Amino acid sequence: MMAAVPKVLCWEKGAMLRQLFALSRVSTPTENHLCAAGAALLSCHRSYRSRPTHGIGRYKYLLPAETPKKKKDRVQMKEINPGTEFEYGDVNIQMTSYDMCLVEHFAQYVHRLCNRLSIKVKESYAMPTKTNEVLFLEEKGSKMQLDAILTTHQRVVQISGLSSTFAPILLEVIQSNQPEGVHLLIKQHTEADFKNRLKARPELEELLAQMG
Amino acid sequence: MAGHCGTRVMAAPLGQRVAGPARWVCSAAAAAAAARRPWRLFGAMCLLRLPRITQPLEKEEEEMMALMGQIELEKSHYSDHEIRKLEEEERLKRRKESLYDDDDEVTGRTVIMAQDLEDKWEQKFLRFKPAPRITDADKKNIRTSLNRKLDSNLMLLVKQKIGNQELWLLPQAEWQPGETLRSTAERAMATFLGDHIQAKILGNAPYGIYKYKFPRAIRTEDNVGAKVFFFKAFLQSTDFTQTELKADYLWVTKNELGDYLKPEYLKKVDRFLLDL
Repeated sequence: MMAAVPKVLCWEKGAMLRQLFALSRVSTPTENHLCAAGAALLSCHRSYRSRPTHGIGRYKYLLPAETPKKKKDRVQMKEINPGTEFEYGDVNIQMTSYDMCLVEHFAQYVHRLCNRLSIKVKESYAMPTKTNEVLFLEEKGSKMQLDAILTTHQRVVQISGLSSTFAPILLEVIQSNQPEGVHLLIKQHTEADFKNRLKARPELEELLAQMG
Repeated sequence: MAGHCGTRVMAAPLGQRVAGPARWVCSAAAAAAAARRPWRLFGAMCLLRLPRITQPLEKEEEEMMALMGQIELEKSHYSDHEIRKLEEEERLKRRKESLYDDDDEVTGRTVIMAQDLEDKWEQKFLRFKPAPRITDADKKNIRTSLNRKLDSNLMLLVKQKIGNQELWLLPQAEWQPGETLRSTAERAMATFLGDHIQAKILGNAPYGIYKYKFPRAIRTEDNVGAKVFFFKAFLQSTDFTQTELKADYLWVTKNELGDYLKPEYLKKVDRFLLDL
């Protein structure tokens, strides 16, 4: 409605301008151009807004309203565990290895396999890397020598809604495709697992200990 | 004998392309009311020894692996050891060109150079002898040993007497009323291999079913035939003193099953065996 009214006015004005233009064309050819240009600049309504195709590319008004993202700590989502007795709750598939590329590729494979089999993958994350120093004690020597530094990488794929009849098949497939050097652990998700991902805050703990 | 599944067997989900468990609906309540089905039930156990080493790669897989390795190498950053090695090489070069220029570097800082470490590791690696992939049992084709075919699944086959025939089958036992089919299968395994078997059954649902009717001679109203439900278990510990009660047993791979099993039986068993 609102858009229609100025359109009508524009059209009328446009028509008037054109008539004026037609009239003035006869009179002074040199002044015409200035007149025409001035008319376009001075007019309050722009002619393209009256075109029927105005706003043809608009789409943002069609999208669902985006909630502003809050930078907050992730709250746990826990499903009903075999409350139905036929479905598992959140299950963690943990893959550990010394070789990072291998474990990442395997985690990718497991994720895609679950996608293929329409199992909902809730989260897929990496645990912090653990570094171990291997100290070598020489025979007839008391000094421990640094032999190697080993880094252990762990990737976790969290799935939910695994039915109990399908779980053995999935487990078998993952087990048969396990590469060399990768430890596989499949367990149910607990709060302790969630807490493992977060960094310990020693100052906070100290203060808490002082307080209580 | 009323044919009703154990209370824990439930409807299979839809759309599995990996292995197809048979579909059936458990109706514990309906069992009492339904007519007595004249089928005898058996629970059979398919005991699998998982592969211990990986299978050899195909040509395309090897090429892919080489390519991925190269990509990863080129994308990666230098590790601490490599940086140290490069620095030391540079230092050596500088020292050779400008003779004994900087004295503070000589003061026993690098007693062990990175290159020496590498040489030491290389020597250690050469001394390491991995176990052979093709074992003795493979060469002599001893089918009763577990050390054979380390890269594929091995299954247990037992010779059992059915009717008046001695057949090679997966170990099975008859179902007694009051127990679940899974425990029947476990009992079957225990009778053939002893109690201290560390095998893990992953789920409560069977993997397959084989149905057969008795030959007309023995068939009666109440005893039309038998249904065998298969369960799968994975062997956890590979070395156990094989106290075999029945002497004839074999550990075979999926390909070799055809030598021993009857064709109909083999068809049903093949359906749920996953051999990657």
